[in-house]
Amino acid sequence: MIMDFEVVSPKNKSELLNVINDNLDGNFRISAGFTDLYNQLKKSGSEGVTIINLTQLNEPELKSIHIGDSEIRIGTLVTAADIVDHAFIKVNFPVLHMAASKLASLQIRNVATIGGNICNVSPSGDMTAAMITLQAVCHVIDSEGNERSEPLISFIRGLKKTSLEKNEIIQYVTIPKNIHSKIYSGYEKVGARKSMEIAIVSLGYHFQLNDEGIIQEAGISCGAVAPVIPFATDACSFLIGKKLDELSDADKNTFADLVVAYANPISDIRASAWYRTEVLKNLACAILP
Amino acid sequence: MKKELKVIGKSAPKLDADIRVSGKAVYGHDIELPGMLHGSILRTAHPCAEILSIDTSEAEALPGVICIITADDVDVNNISYKRDHPILKKGTVNCNRDEIAAVAAITKDIAKKALKLIKVDYRIKEGVYNPLEALKSDAPKINEFGKGEEQFGNKNIAESFHYEHGDLEAEKAKSKVIIKRTYQLPRVTHACMATSNITADFNKLDGRLTLWSSTQVPFLYQRDIAHALKMEPSKIRIIQPVIGGGFGSKLDMHPFEPICCLLAMKAGKPVQILYSREEEFILSPTRQPMIIELTTGADENGKFTFREVEIIKDNGAYTSWGATTPFVMMQTFSSLYQAPACKFDSHAIYTNNPFAGSFRGYGNPQATFALETNIDLMAEELGMDQDKIRLINANYKGEITGQGLHFKTCGAIPALEKVIEKSNFQVSAIPHDKGRFRKGIGLASMLHVGGGAKIYRSDGCGTTLKLDDYGYLTIVTGSNEIGQGSETVLAMIAMEELGISREKIKVINTDTDVKPWDVGVHASRTSFVAGNSLLGAIKLLKEKLNKKATELLGVVTDDWDYADGKMTFNEFEISLDKVSREIHFGFPHELCTVTYFYEPPSKFQDKEFKGDVSGNYAFAAQAIEVEVDTVTGNVTVLNTHVSQDVGRVLNPMGLQGQMEGGMATGIGYALTEEMIYEKGELKNPSFHGYKILTTMDMPPVHFYPIETYDEAGPYGSKGAGEAPLIPTAAAIANAVANALGVRFYSLPITAEKVLRALAEKKKEVSQNESLKTN
Repeated sequence: MIMDFEVVSPKNKSELLNVINDNLDGNFRISAGFTDLYNQLKKSGSEGVTIINLTQLNEPELKSIHIGDSEIRIGTLVTAADIVDHAFIKVNFPVLHMAASKLASLQIRNVATIGGNICNVSPSGDMTAAMITLQAVCHVIDSEGNERSEPLISFIRGLKKTSLEKNEIIQYVTIPKNIHSKIYSGYEKVGARKSMEIAIVSLGYHFQLNDEGIIQEAGISCGAVAPVIPFATDACSFLIGKKLDELSDADKNTFADLVVAYANPISDIRASAWYRTEVLKNLACAILP
Repeated sequence: MKKELKVIGKSAPKLDADIRVSGKAVYGHDIELPGMLHGSILRTAHPCAEILSIDTSEAEALPGVICIITADDVDVNNISYKRDHPILKKGTVNCNRDEIAAVAAITKDIAKKALKLIKVDYRIKEGVYNPLEALKSDAPKINEFGKGEEQFGNKNIAESFHYEHGDLEAEKAKSKVIIKRTYQLPRVTHACMATSNITADFNKLDGRLTLWSSTQVPFLYQRDIAHALKMEPSKIRIIQPVIGGGFGSKLDMHPFEPICCLLAMKAGKPVQILYSREEEFILSPTRQPMIIELTTGADENGKFTFREVEIIKDNGAYTSWGATTPFVMMQTFSSLYQAPACKFDSHAIYTNNPFAGSFRGYGNPQATFALETNIDLMAEELGMDQDKIRLINANYKGEITGQGLHFKTCGAIPALEKVIEKSNFQVSAIPHDKGRFRKGIGLASMLHVGGGAKIYRSDGCGTTLKLDDYGYLTIVTGSNEIGQGSETVLAMIAMEELGISREKIKVINTDTDVKPWDVGVHASRTSFVAGNSLLGAIKLLKEKLNKKATELLGVVTDDWDYADGKMTFNEFEISLDKVSREIHFGFPHELCTVTYFYEPPSKFQDKEFKGDVSGNYAFAAQAIEVEVDTVTGNVTVLNTHVSQDVGRVLNPMGLQGQMEGGMATGIGYALTEEMIYEKGELKNPSFHGYKILTTMDMPPVHFYPIETYDEAGPYGSKGAGEAPLIPTAAAIANAVANALGVRFYSLPITAEKVLRALAEKKKEVSQNESLKTN
């Protein structure tokens, strides 16, 4: 394949916004890790494309993880490896830690960014699924410098579609800090191999419990079973107020059925719709103690 | 008997390890010749169609296009094992790989663009993609050059084999248990890291053709290219750049290779063709998909009585070497474990699928999967332990099998005993877990040729040695290196025998104009055949050196010791380079060079496929532990115990590499790898869709070599390259059955298959329960 494109590498945010403004009439693509874009260009061709390369951007806000009073802020250029290595995330948000650590391979985790994972809008995006579980909010800026924010679940508008305008980029995402004493959180990813895999089905869960072990807050996401990753609201509502350790088999079944109701899977070369549904149901039962 | 050795048996990194890991290795993709053009091939848009017209005019007008060829422009012979494969197709196309036209252009991009400008009109036909359909009398004749009607009584049979020994009916009568099962084996591919490539340069002045090619069999390839192009073989020079993976895929010559030559001849400039990864998946050969119907019996004591085998192989549209895999499969059915009677029939059937080829193991993984599953089932029905039934039937030293294979040494029982002991098989095989994760263990053995295989008029290898004035040794060997590590073994043998250090040894093995003949890399033969050839050459070299040293030092002996670059005998000592110089500069002025050709003692099999076809035989057993996730259906291989009769370990590090590489391929075959074809089109031509395993998926490979010191091999060694993957799928399938109580008769055992089987089982159980309550 011949790669035939222009590359612009802004050094700071104002340069970046200017570059976007200057190219609004043209065909440009923004990238930092290039792990998804490379494949897309291979398919679509790169003639006439301008690449806005973010790897030389020196903006701490966009590149760092910041722990605030009520939320944590993850810059759009934070890599999967940064997330895996982050101690606070590992302890407080296992769902995100596990999703990042199961993404592709070590080499790819070292360059793949959270902003890229979200904007690629894949139904099987691992970090995206974890962020949906955690009810993350996207913070966006346009080339004029106007800022807005939107919950991730509505930011994603459909298969390969977001609410981003051509002149907008994500600056960072925020997730609310846990407010209860205990958490029960994790990410199940199903695939044929342990690395270099795209989820056939995934299930992200993040529950907050009070001291008595009663579920106070719940987040559930299901990857690769629908055109967009759903947040399983009904399944979450069902669990709230219940004691996690004392769920009956009937409760677990009801919960699993509520999760599966959000699935509308397809059959493809990797798995049939039957398998995806069956595994999702099995997983939903299996994650509960 | 075992002789004390200094170099052999001690781990040595591969000779080319440094250039491979540092990026200095020159692969075919790195070759750039002055004025070189880039070739690209137009393939059919439909797997089965009539070609009504081909119009290349627009493509020819594209600036940068140098020449375009179609079937009408060339005078060539059909290629392939059955000569049923036209290099460029006209009239009809029969599978998704079919080549219609080829372009040479000044850049790759222009060549690809030109392909899009070639207009082909097709009349699409409904193809035949199931070999059982192709056998029906109303099926169309798929390959117009096929001789099935005359030779085998059906127009779509490409090749058939029949073998038998013993009194089948008498053995059936003796049987307490008879198991009959049908097995389905998938199409899988080699997934070489380097994609297929060739660079061709034709000199119009002398009519000579030079090819930079990654073939495994340069001298057979030279002959095949010559036949295809109607040239004299000796006018063709084959140079092998570093090869990034062979595994059997480069045994056949494929159409893109003579096509590249034709483009170079027409353009008058060098031409290079490189496959993309997608092309590599679609176009390179595959392992044979097949249906095996196997019936086996055992008497009341568990002694095996007979095997009856019917195999239908999907040959695809053309006939490659892969059609001859029954040679190997019949050895397994006739001779793996003691088998008093065997009847074997195999038919390769033309379909509109792509043609299969040769792949490490050559039919043996398929045969072993079927046989070893049947053995487990017989043990279950007899109430015998799975290890016991194998031990009492195992092959033994001195055995001459029904097929005439003579096991002068045999590590079958020690290998089984070793993996049974190391895996704690008896305890591990007790099913216990009722939770989400279920553990199981499975056992399988294998038999494979270990001393070459006489399938061509010669199974030999030549070696030329040159000891220069400075004491450096050049080994020019007929054999070649495709990553298996044989050139390292050759250097080790020379170090051992001549006492020359590794830095002073060069191995030249890449040029057919220079090196002596060898049949090529296949059948786990290279270290065996090339090693014996080198030992023969060293013997001749030593005769020269001994004679001169005796003359120079005035001492009469043939008992010179070679070490540290010197020859010594008692108090007498002289450096090797000095002796070499004296041969050169002293009277009567000779060079210190010798040439030797080794032909193994193996025999051609007779018309009934009986005879001792190999110099020796390799035996192996594997015990594999798995864990099945009943929530997802995924099977994880936890641990592997591999024991193999390698005769003698030459390079432990290289051997461990063969074990691990074979295991990786074997696990993929068992669990994840499958080329998904729908109506002749490949649906998963990428590493995303086709799941070869990664290093993260690899279990520990505990390897226990068995040394039987077979006198036919160098230092007692046997071929070892193919064996490590042969019993793997069988052992894993047996382990999964042990874990779940459910058997799988087709590969790969995917998560979806497992979950469906568990769902079926659950349904059966609940139905039975409701029947009981009613």
